[in-house]
Amino acid sequence: MDDRPSSHAVGVSLCDSAPLLWRVEDLRTVRSQGLVGALLGSLPRTPRQNVRLGRPLLLLEEEETLLRERQAAAAGYQDGRGAELRLQVQQHKEDQQRSYEEQSVLALEDRKSALLRAMTSSHTESGAGAQGGALRGRLEALDRSFTFPCSALAVQLSTARAGLSYCPEARVVLRADRPIRGRDELNCDAARYQVFRDLRGRGFYLTSAGKFGGDFLVYPGDPLRFHAHFIAVCVSENESVGLLDLLSVARLGSNVKKTVLLCSPGPDGRVLYTSLQWSGMV
Amino acid sequence: MADQNKKEPELKFYNEILTPSELFAARSRSRKIPVRGQKDFFPDDSDEQRRRLEQSLTEHWSLISEERVEKLGNLVKATWIPSQQIVELQSPAGKFWQTMGFSATGKQFLLPEEALYLMECGDLQVLHQDLPLSIQDGYEKFLSSSTVSLLQYQVFGHLKRLGYVVHRFDPSSQPSSYARQLNLPQSRDRAEKRGKRKRSDSPSTTSSHTEAQEESDRMEDKRGVHEGEDDEKLPESHPATSPETSGTHNAAASSAGAGGTWWMADVLGDQSDHQPTSGSSSHRDFGSILFPDLGSREHLSSCLASPDPSLLPGSLAVGVCDVSHWRQRINLREVKMSPKEQEREEARRKRRWDVNKDRQVRRCRNWAEYRELLARRGGRREGRPAHLWNREVTPLHDPRQPIPTGQLLEKISVIESTHLLEGASRLKDSDDWRICFNVYQPDSVADFKKSDPGKPYSRMCVCSFGGPVPDLRAIKQLALQSGDVLVVFAVVDHGDISFYTFKDFQLPTDVIP
Repeated sequence: MDDRPSSHAVGVSLCDSAPLLWRVEDLRTVRSQGLVGALLGSLPRTPRQNVRLGRPLLLLEEEETLLRERQAAAAGYQDGRGAELRLQVQQHKEDQQRSYEEQSVLALEDRKSALLRAMTSSHTESGAGAQGGALRGRLEALDRSFTFPCSALAVQLSTARAGLSYCPEARVVLRADRPIRGRDELNCDAARYQVFRDLRGRGFYLTSAGKFGGDFLVYPGDPLRFHAHFIAVCVSENESVGLLDLLSVARLGSNVKKTVLLCSPGPDGRVLYTSLQWSGMV
Repeated sequence: MADQNKKEPELKFYNEILTPSELFAARSRSRKIPVRGQKDFFPDDSDEQRRRLEQSLTEHWSLISEERVEKLGNLVKATWIPSQQIVELQSPAGKFWQTMGFSATGKQFLLPEEALYLMECGDLQVLHQDLPLSIQDGYEKFLSSSTVSLLQYQVFGHLKRLGYVVHRFDPSSQPSSYARQLNLPQSRDRAEKRGKRKRSDSPSTTSSHTEAQEESDRMEDKRGVHEGEDDEKLPESHPATSPETSGTHNAAASSAGAGGTWWMADVLGDQSDHQPTSGSSSHRDFGSILFPDLGSREHLSSCLASPDPSLLPGSLAVGVCDVSHWRQRINLREVKMSPKEQEREEARRKRRWDVNKDRQVRRCRNWAEYRELLARRGGRREGRPAHLWNREVTPLHDPRQPIPTGQLLEKISVIESTHLLEGASRLKDSDDWRICFNVYQPDSVADFKKSDPGKPYSRMCVCSFGGPVPDLRAIKQLALQSGDVLVVFAVVDHGDISFYTFKDFQLPTDVIP
């Protein structure tokens, strides 16, 4: 935990202009800064369910902007295939071969130990001498006849490019001077960003709240351990809000037992917060 | 050398490559996910909470960082072909072939989103230029606006993980509106077609038939209006018989076709002829035209004078008529009544309402008008006042016609209920809203045939919460494109997907039967 380099920029890869993080360490870095994001992919252990998802991590627009502001994000390396494609292919084949050889050794040892366990457990009463001879015979036979088929070779299906042996650039520490996208490309809403920054600065964890009718869900701590307390709705100071809109957002909030927070960023950087809570008649 | 040392730990830091021993050990990995416990309400800086948070995070990272490891024999191999944006299988397909992929030129292919999903499941290894692709490569290479966007892939993956069969939607495979009119498996279209052909008076609720009815009604009304105008003009005009009018009379009488308006044609003929020569004709004084009463007790001459030649058509000449032999046939004997009977007769005569004294009857110029007057009077008694019914705007319902309450309510309803597809065929396709996928239910997988999938369970249109809400135009256009399959809007919000759909709905009518 402590040896995590804090000056490293996380590698943001754009997929269809959405900012994604792929490397595990990048995800950890970002979480340690209080940015949660959203996981999009299948979880490798159990891919056919939607409750828990795996990498990649999708960043909110505001999260990406915040990282850029802190000089903590850079563009991840593109395609792993370099100019020396043939060398890479050769390297990959050699790696496969080496893996095959190592695994076949491991497989043989595994079989031998299994045989040993089987034979010693079933013949505890009989004499050690005769049994020892039979065991040695069986082990030698195994050495001679054992084959490790190619189809039994275990291979890795890498999630990130950092898991590809032929792609060393993917494992490189990035510098923040590699821009993720063009200067004008990211048009993060200024009001939303100001509110995000302020709430994050106060220690809250924020995620997207589209299906709650708001801008952000505000957690008092890590979302893994705590429920959200607020639904933040960004309203500019001089914008007039219709009463029906106010009522509908308050209703939504009370239905899911969360307080609605109307957030209005002011000109001096401070944000004005108004909370709505449905209370009964006293 | 120093640089090398510095790079090594950093490289290791981002290293996600498994060693052969790790790969070998992976086959005995657990396949279960630990269950998540209850969340806390509020952070209170307690050690207990911190410990639980660390435990959750550790578990989280171990699941996230775990890599997919598969035996080569269990993997299907494929190659990515960027020029065609397609994945070609190099080894025979597995169980997934029943619902995914397609064959072409003797080879098996997968669409990019299908290949990416199978990569994420750990069933497929895709190579490009002899090097294996990572999932990251798959996302970056396979997903684009020309294939399937990231938003659409999220929906695709979500549904596939739940077990649905998801195929790309092909708008050209849908029958066009013209084809739909011809094939007509739907009963609604069939009723419309029948309505267009028949111009019968049977009531029909379809719009096209009522259009046809309205048109014919309008035509009849026009004629009625014309008639009305002529009615007013006639007292001023001076129709007079002349040799010229006789020709038009006959011509008009023979040319006019339907119904009882032949007399109007006569009048029209008169009017058209006499408009330029209005000054010359004389006003017909009906009081001076004698109608001989042969049964009168008063002594008349035995012969009738010849009628005024101006009253006769053409060059007809009528001489004196000898009526004596007619009078002989009439019983002119006086009825002998007792005084009581005479009194009774007098009273009856007094009571008798002389129809000639009725002002409205005197205004009728011919029998047809008199019949109309009688009809009007009769109608008023029976509840159908003529002044309401012989105009352009008639009452909504004839009180003499029986009608159930429900239908009457429908007639007086100001707000008409409509259905989703009404007017949809006139809309042009827009680029903003498109159906992406056909979704088939999971339990149909057993006998699913790719060549003939049948009717999908629903069709997906993918959008995001940041974008606009579909307006009525978009909903109608998509519903039309989809035919009789429900269109579902999958709204994606950073990994969270919500599904919405719009259905036709009938407001309940409160009708006492």
